[in-house]
Amino acid sequence: MQLFKTLQEKPWLPQELEQQTNLFPSVRHKEKAASTALKFFLAMITVIFFLFTVTFLQRTQSFDFQALSGEPWLPFTNSRMLWQNSAYLLIASISIILAKKLAELQSFKGVIISLTATALFTLLFIGGQVQVWQQLNQSGFYIYANPANSYYFLLTGVHALHIVAGVLVFMRCIWHFSLDLSYQRLASSLKLCALYWHFLLFIWLFLFFLLTSDAETFKTIALFCGF
Amino acid sequence: MTKMENIAIADQVDQSSHPSSFLSKYIWSQDHKVIAIQYSITAIAVGLVALVLSGMMRLQLGFPNEFSFIDPSSYLQFVTMHGMIMVIYLLTALLLGGFGNYLIPLMIGARDMVFPYLNMLSYWTYLLSVMVLLSSFFVSGGPTGAGWTLYPPQAILSGTPGAHAGILLMLISLAIFIVAFTMGGLNYVSTILQARAKGMTLMRMPLTIWGIFVATILGLLAFPALLVSAIMMIFDKVVGTSFFMPAILSLGETLDHSGGSPILFQHLFWFFGHPEVYIVALPAFGMVSDVIAVHARKNIFGYRMMVWAIVAIGGLSFVVWAHHMYVSGMNPYFGFFFATTTLIIAIPTALKVYNWLLTLWRGNIHLTLPMLFAIGFIFTFTHGGLTGLMLGNVVIDLPLSDTFFVVAHFHMVMGVSPIMVLFAAIYHWFPLLTGRLLNTKLGKFHFWGTFLGTYAIYLPMHYLGFLGVPRRYFAMGTTDFIPESAQTLNAGITVSAIIVGLVQLVFIVNVIWSTFKGKKSGRNPWQATSLEWQTVQFPPGHGNWGKQLPQVYRWAYDYSVPKVKDDFIPQNLSPEEVQYLTSDKNNNQGVK
Repeated sequence: MQLFKTLQEKPWLPQELEQQTNLFPSVRHKEKAASTALKFFLAMITVIFFLFTVTFLQRTQSFDFQALSGEPWLPFTNSRMLWQNSAYLLIASISIILAKKLAELQSFKGVIISLTATALFTLLFIGGQVQVWQQLNQSGFYIYANPANSYYFLLTGVHALHIVAGVLVFMRCIWHFSLDLSYQRLASSLKLCALYWHFLLFIWLFLFFLLTSDAETFKTIALFCGF
Repeated sequence: MTKMENIAIADQVDQSSHPSSFLSKYIWSQDHKVIAIQYSITAIAVGLVALVLSGMMRLQLGFPNEFSFIDPSSYLQFVTMHGMIMVIYLLTALLLGGFGNYLIPLMIGARDMVFPYLNMLSYWTYLLSVMVLLSSFFVSGGPTGAGWTLYPPQAILSGTPGAHAGILLMLISLAIFIVAFTMGGLNYVSTILQARAKGMTLMRMPLTIWGIFVATILGLLAFPALLVSAIMMIFDKVVGTSFFMPAILSLGETLDHSGGSPILFQHLFWFFGHPEVYIVALPAFGMVSDVIAVHARKNIFGYRMMVWAIVAIGGLSFVVWAHHMYVSGMNPYFGFFFATTTLIIAIPTALKVYNWLLTLWRGNIHLTLPMLFAIGFIFTFTHGGLTGLMLGNVVIDLPLSDTFFVVAHFHMVMGVSPIMVLFAAIYHWFPLLTGRLLNTKLGKFHFWGTFLGTYAIYLPMHYLGFLGVPRRYFAMGTTDFIPESAQTLNAGITVSAIIVGLVQLVFIVNVIWSTFKGKKSGRNPWQATSLEWQTVQFPPGHGNWGKQLPQVYRWAYDYSVPKVKDDFIPQNLSPEEVQYLTSDKNNNQGVK
């Protein structure tokens, strides 16, 4: 473990010159700094969703909790819409990798198509989520009617907000590319965007499983977690 | 990618364009030093508001019902706003936004933060959060009076002061603050990890940077808990969900909530709240270590242990939160676990105190203003820490919970102590900002007034707590167990508090006067080794380092090295440049 090795250094002792040379930080670029910042940001988002999840699991065991699937009249017993939204986000996540690869190959046409696909499918995902919220409202599953509904709106809303923030950064990358047409810069930005998209896809799939589970599943999870 | 970006940050020559207009230089500045000053001025200004609020509280407690402008509601509002402003908007913002911003690039040998634009945005977002918070003083119902812990259900129910607009503005302001902190925090950790000068290994960094680094990571991982609880409470208030709200009667009316858990909020709040103590304490630990080493002309005792202690305290701070909730009716085994972790965290903390003392031991102690405050800190922190050990035990906490003993404890440990370090740091680094020293006579008056004055406030307060005097009460009413003399003591505390408040005005006058008329400090007035004092231009200009970034050859604590001519060796002085007392250089290899 590099961290433990670092923490064992004795900076007060005399260093041989070669050792000193080895102690110099490795070559670090601005891109690496952005990557570090993104990783810390992802850790932060993980904590946010982890805490939401813990509170949700505890709440699943309260007397007034009514799971959103399991019975024919519940909205996510058939979760076709959500599968469709997942597919949109998956395609967006794949096309952003393609965009990065094509930027490395300096294919202008390819970059434009894949970037458009990313934007389109991401927006379709958000649109799809909004549609699900509308359907829930129309069927009487209001946000305040039941804790399961409240958590569904809350968690998917927070997730969608993160996607929107990602889209803003993504648009900024495209804006920069339109100004300087630097493929190298675009590729390095898209690499970070792709990591963010994959991460949000993973979070979404986790939320999908969590929020559409039936009462029995919650009972098992709660037993396992000791709630 | 431009050519510049292919070069390691540590190798880049200065090609930045320097801002020339007033707006770009001082208002929309991306220079970390200007942003640090903006953060500091805003934090101190809002801190003064909180200081006045505490004075109002003390007036009521010391001289009940003498002042018609303080009623039970406004008293609770003063308590709440004082607490929240001091913890979040003053201490966190000043230590990380102010000192973090100023010192990180200078101490690690970088030109600026790695994302200067984000850094600028962080300050303006912070300012917005402060304005949203302060705006709650002007809305109908006033600011929230729910106590700084904002516990539901009472925080959002009618009957609590500011239960409508006030609480919403508080929660929104906190959410905005967290966004601001995230932008700043990501900058701090990325800059420390990726933009250090050549030779500046992690274990050569001054402890100030270690403290800020670990505190920022704590902030990035702990503030989400506050964000989550704030969002959920906003939903409960605005949309009518029941995350924290149980079935409840309010003013004789049955509300629509059911099944929510108020205890859940407490867990979330303290999962943030306890690391927050260390978000404030760790930068203070780091800065005081550096101040003590410089002014005792000695290397810090046990540098490696000090780093380990900072990391260990940071890790442990996430598993002690429920010691704030012993009276919430928890499982005894749960309480036992948290009492144990709380006592364990005292080990690395005590280690730090011993190391500060051992650094002072047989040091060449210069009783300068920064050193006075640093030594003052060791006293106040030890006292606050020891009462923390008492309260960490369930059986002692239960009778003392919600009494003035707790108030005295946390003010000593996370109010007075970090503020003593902040003063030490301001007196220490003021010449770096202005090229001038703060006035010594005024400074000594400020130190003794603050140090003795805070003891005059908080020592009797511990005693009041033992008597059972409850906290948060507007008036004590008639109680059998509180003697008349407690009121006399309360009046004495109030007088001391007002004196301490007025002494701070001396400090502000000193800062303003010395900025323009203070004695010129010259370069490196404390003869410190760390990089921030070794800049080409003094005080450092935009870009910090002139054409080339510095190269680091040693740690930051080479003071009083045997056989070396000066009693300090700057970090960027190469072994060839070190001047020895004897000509036999081969005997002096130990100082590389």
